[in-house]
Amino acid sequence: MSEDRKRILGMLAEGKITADEADLLLDSLGSTAEETTPTTPAPSSNNWPTGPAEAGSKPKFMYVKVFGGKDTVDVKVPLGLLRAGLKLTSLIPAQAMEQINESMSAQGMSFDMNNLKPEDIEALIENLGEMEVNIASGDGDHVRVFCA
Amino acid sequence: MNAIMPPLVIDVRVREEGSRGFRIWFPFVILWPLLLIIVGFAFVVALLVDLALLLADSRYHHYTLLLFHSLQLLAAIRGTHAHIDSETALVDVNVY
Repeated sequence: MSEDRKRILGMLAEGKITADEADLLLDSLGSTAEETTPTTPAPSSNNWPTGPAEAGSKPKFMYVKVFGGKDTVDVKVPLGLLRAGLKLTSLIPAQAMEQINESMSAQGMSFDMNNLKPEDIEALIENLGEMEVNIASGDGDHVRVFCA
Repeated sequence: MNAIMPPLVIDVRVREEGSRGFRIWFPFVILWPLLLIIVGFAFVVALLVDLALLLADSRYHHYTLLLFHSLQLLAAIRGTHAHIDSETALVDVNVY
């Protein structure tokens, strides 16, 4: 059972939503899954995984695949790079960090890098295993992003 | 140790339509001895700076950690692979 489905049923059990509302939400969840799942599975190259990591296993790489159209893209990025980058960010001197935050804010990204803690970084990376992005464009291109 | 081991080989291949393209196969491992000397020296300097900042009661005294995490970032590049195959070009980047 998916996390979303559990959450909806939990809300129903707690009496936060009615049975009709739960039914509506479960229906919309089902149709969203149908819409987002690509009809063509991501081809596996170099023995790379074709889908996200199983629940409980720690993801090691982020995969970006574009297939089905004229162009083919296969990118594999170690999540250690993200971990090292974020750890490095948390050590940047405060004066430099203020400038970075200001620049990011000017670009529309109001995110304070000072709030990043090592335990948050680990939790972020661990939860990336559950992330999956599937995009099917009209011209036949499929884009898939996942961590495994 | 593995967490701070820099890449061994960097392999970049680019081929464009109508041209021969090029390939760079660079054994980064040959730079390791030079990197070891530079990093060793930088670590000593960073340690001394951090110690001085700590004694001066400065809030920021993490230059050694900053250097260590920079090395980790370099090491984390290992395992990166990118393959882009379009109608007009083929790009392959592999870091081992």
